[in-house]
Amino acid sequence: MAMVQPRNLKYRVWYARIALWLFLALILFPFLMIISVSFRSGNFATGSLIPENPSLEHWYLAFGIPWENPDGSVTEPFFPVLLWLWNSIKVAFFSSILVLMLSTTGAYAFARLRFKFREHMLTAMMILQMFPAVLALVAIYTLFDKIGDYIPWLGINSLGSVTIAYIGGIALHIWLIKGYFETIDNSLEEAAAIDGATPWQAFRYVLLPLSVPILAVVFILAFIASIGEYPVASILLHSMDKLTLAVGSQQYLNPQNYLWGDFAAAAILSGLPITIIFLACQRWIVGGLTSGGVKG
Amino acid sequence: MAEVKLNGISKSYDQGKTWIIKDVNLEIHNGEFVAFIGPSGCGKSTLLRMICGLEDITTGEMHIDGELINDHPPHERQVGMVFQSYALYPHMTVAENMAFGLKLARADKSIIKQRVDEAARMLQLEPLLERKPKAMSGGQRQRVAIGRSIVQEPRVFLFDEPLSNLDVALRVQMRQELSQLHRRLKTTSIYVTHDQVEAMTLANRIVVLSPLQPGAKTNLEQVGGPLELYHHPANLFVAGFIGSPKMNFLNAELQQPGEEWSTIKLTSGETLKVAANTSSSACGSQVIIGIRPEHVLLLPDKKQDQTEKDNTVIATVSTLERLGSESFIYLDHDSVREYLIVRVTGSGLQNENDKLGIHLPPKQCHLFSAEGLAFSRTHKPELNTCQS
Ligand SMILES: Nc1ncnc2c1ncn2[C@@H]1O[C@H](COP(=O)(O)OP(=O)(O)OP(=O)(O)O)[C@@H](O)[C@H]1O
Ligand SMILES: [Mg+2]
Repeated sequence: MAMVQPRNLKYRVWYARIALWLFLALILFPFLMIISVSFRSGNFATGSLIPENPSLEHWYLAFGIPWENPDGSVTEPFFPVLLWLWNSIKVAFFSSILVLMLSTTGAYAFARLRFKFREHMLTAMMILQMFPAVLALVAIYTLFDKIGDYIPWLGINSLGSVTIAYIGGIALHIWLIKGYFETIDNSLEEAAAIDGATPWQAFRYVLLPLSVPILAVVFILAFIASIGEYPVASILLHSMDKLTLAVGSQQYLNPQNYLWGDFAAAAILSGLPITIIFLACQRWIVGGLTSGGVKG
Repeated sequence: MAEVKLNGISKSYDQGKTWIIKDVNLEIHNGEFVAFIGPSGCGKSTLLRMICGLEDITTGEMHIDGELINDHPPHERQVGMVFQSYALYPHMTVAENMAFGLKLARADKSIIKQRVDEAARMLQLEPLLERKPKAMSGGQRQRVAIGRSIVQEPRVFLFDEPLSNLDVALRVQMRQELSQLHRRLKTTSIYVTHDQVEAMTLANRIVVLSPLQPGAKTNLEQVGGPLELYHHPANLFVAGFIGSPKMNFLNAELQQPGEEWSTIKLTSGETLKVAANTSSSACGSQVIIGIRPEHVLLLPDKKQDQTEKDNTVIATVSTLERLGSESFIYLDHDSVREYLIVRVTGSGLQNENDKLGIHLPPKQCHLFSAEGLAFSRTHKPELNTCQS
C-alpha cells in the first residue's frame, strides 16, 4: 500500500498487537485449561495451568487401557469412550451427508425455480428454525418411539434415529447455499440447456461443481453441529454402547463424583474428528471458482 | 440447417397486461443470415430467447423445419446460442467447454475430438484448448463460445450481441470472422445487435423491431435487405433508425399530390418537389419530408443570394462537428423536427451563425404521411451524392 500513513503509526500498531494478544489469550485460556486438566493426576477442575504432577491417567482410560496407579491398584476404564467417539463420527458423517443433499436440492429450488409461496416458505423456514430444537424434544421422542415400532433401526436408542433427527436443522444451510447459487450467473445453466443438458444435468455438471466451496462449508458446519449436539441425542439414546461422545462424556459428571480429568480427555477427543474433517475439506474452500465464465 | 418460421409470436411477462413483443410474423429461410435490430429494450433478446426455448411463447406458433416447437424445452431444439456474456463454464477447459454438449449426447470419443479440433482450427483456438476461461481475453472467450455452438452442428445459430463486449478493433475482426464462418458453414443464423454496421455488413436480411407503442398492432417495423432498409424505409421509425447520423425530418403539407412527382410546402413556406407517389393522399394533408445528412447538398457560397434554385432552403449554422475527413453541420430551420444535419467531406470551413443555402435533391427525399408511413419512391436513388 502506497497510502500515506500517519507518523505515530508504529505505536498504534503495537497497541493493536497487544490488544489482539490479550483477546487471543482470553479465548485460548479455557482450551488450555481443559488440556491441562486432562493431564493432571486426579480429578480436579482447578489447579495451575502447567500440571504439578502430570500423568497420562485420563488418556489411558479414554483410550480404554487400564491404568496402574502409583500405589499399585489398577483403575479399569469406566466407559467405552472410543466406541462413543466412533458413534459420534458415524452419526455426524451420515447426517451431514444427508443435510448436504437435502439443502443443496432445496436451495436449488429456491434459487432457480419460480413457484407459489416461494418467499413465504423461505421466511417461514427461517422463523421455524429460530425455535430451539429443545422445545420439540417431546415430539421427537414420541415420533421416533412410534417409528421404532415399524422400523427398529430408526427407533429410540438407535443411531439411525439421531442421524435422521439431525437432518431437521437445514433451513440455515438452505439459505446459505441459495445465496451462493444466486451469485452464479443463470446464463451458465441456460448455455448448458442449449448444449442439450436437462435441468438435472445442468445442475449436476455446471452448478454443483461451481458451488463446491459452499458445499464444503455447509458440510463442516453440519458436522460440527452434530458432533457437539447434546439435547436430542440425550433423550434418544440410552444404552451405554449407543451413546455419542457428547452424551457419553456427561456420564463422568455424576453428582457424587465429578471426574473432571476423564471428562476433559473425552472433550478433547471429540474435537479430533472435527479437525480432521476441516483439514480434509479445506482444499475445497477456494475462491474464484466461478470467475471467467461471464462478462457484463 | 433449417428454416425458422414465426407465426404471430407475442410475449407478455404479466399474463397479457403489457406486451413486450406483439404479433411478429417472420420466415427465415434455410441458410439465411438474419439480423434483429432495434433500440435497447425493444425485445430483441426476448425474441431470440423464445426461439431457443429459454423463454416461453405467450401466443403464436414457432416452427423449425416445419416442426412446431412451442413446447419443446431448449435441449430438444437443437439450436446453438452465443450469449452476450459468453456464458462459458468456468470450471472446464476450452476443450471441455466445447465438448460438453457432445458428451451429454454420448457422442463417440473420436467424433468429439475431431469436431473440437476442427472448430478450434477454424477459430484459431488450438493453442488455448487446455486453458480455463479465466485465463483468456474477451475475444478469445467469445470465440470459445462460438466454437461451443459450432461443434454441436445446430440447426440454427443464435447470436445475442456477441461482439458488444469487445473493443472496436476486435469487433471489426470478429465481424469478418463471423461472416466467413457463415459463408463456410451456411447454417441458418439469427443475429441480435443494436449496432447497425454489424447488421448491415453481416446480414442477408434485417428485421427492425421497435419498442411496442401503446395501441400499436405489432412492433415488427420492417424486414428487408440492408440496402432496401436504407433506401426504402417503410416508415418514420425505420427511416430514423437506419443510418447514422439520423435522417433529417421536416414538417410540410402536401400541395400537389402526384403519381410520380409531388409538390409539398414546408411549414416555413418553401416549396419542394419530391419523387414520391402521393396520389392516394389529399391535397393539404400533413406530410413529413425526410432526407439523409449525406444526401443534402450545400450550395456554393457565391450562389447563395442568386435566384432561387429548385428545392433550396436557407438555414443557419448552429453547431459544427469536425471529424477531419468529414464534418457534420447542424442547421437551424423553422420546419425541422429535431435538427437538420448536413454531412460534408473535408473539414467544414463554415462558421457558426453563417447562413447556408442547401439543396434537397428531389430524388433523394423520402416522404411520409402524418401517420409515419412512407410514400413509395418513384425514382431510383442516385448513389454518388457527397460533395466537399
Ligand atoms: N423477466 C422479465 N420480466 C419482465 N419484463 C422483462 C423481463 N425480461 C425482459 N423484460 C422486459 O422486456 C423488454 C425487452 O427486453 P430485452 O432484453 O428483450 O430487450 P433487448 O431488445 O434485448 O434490449 P438490449 O438491446 O438492451 O439488450 C424490456 O423492456 C424489459 O424490461
Ligand atoms: Mg438484449
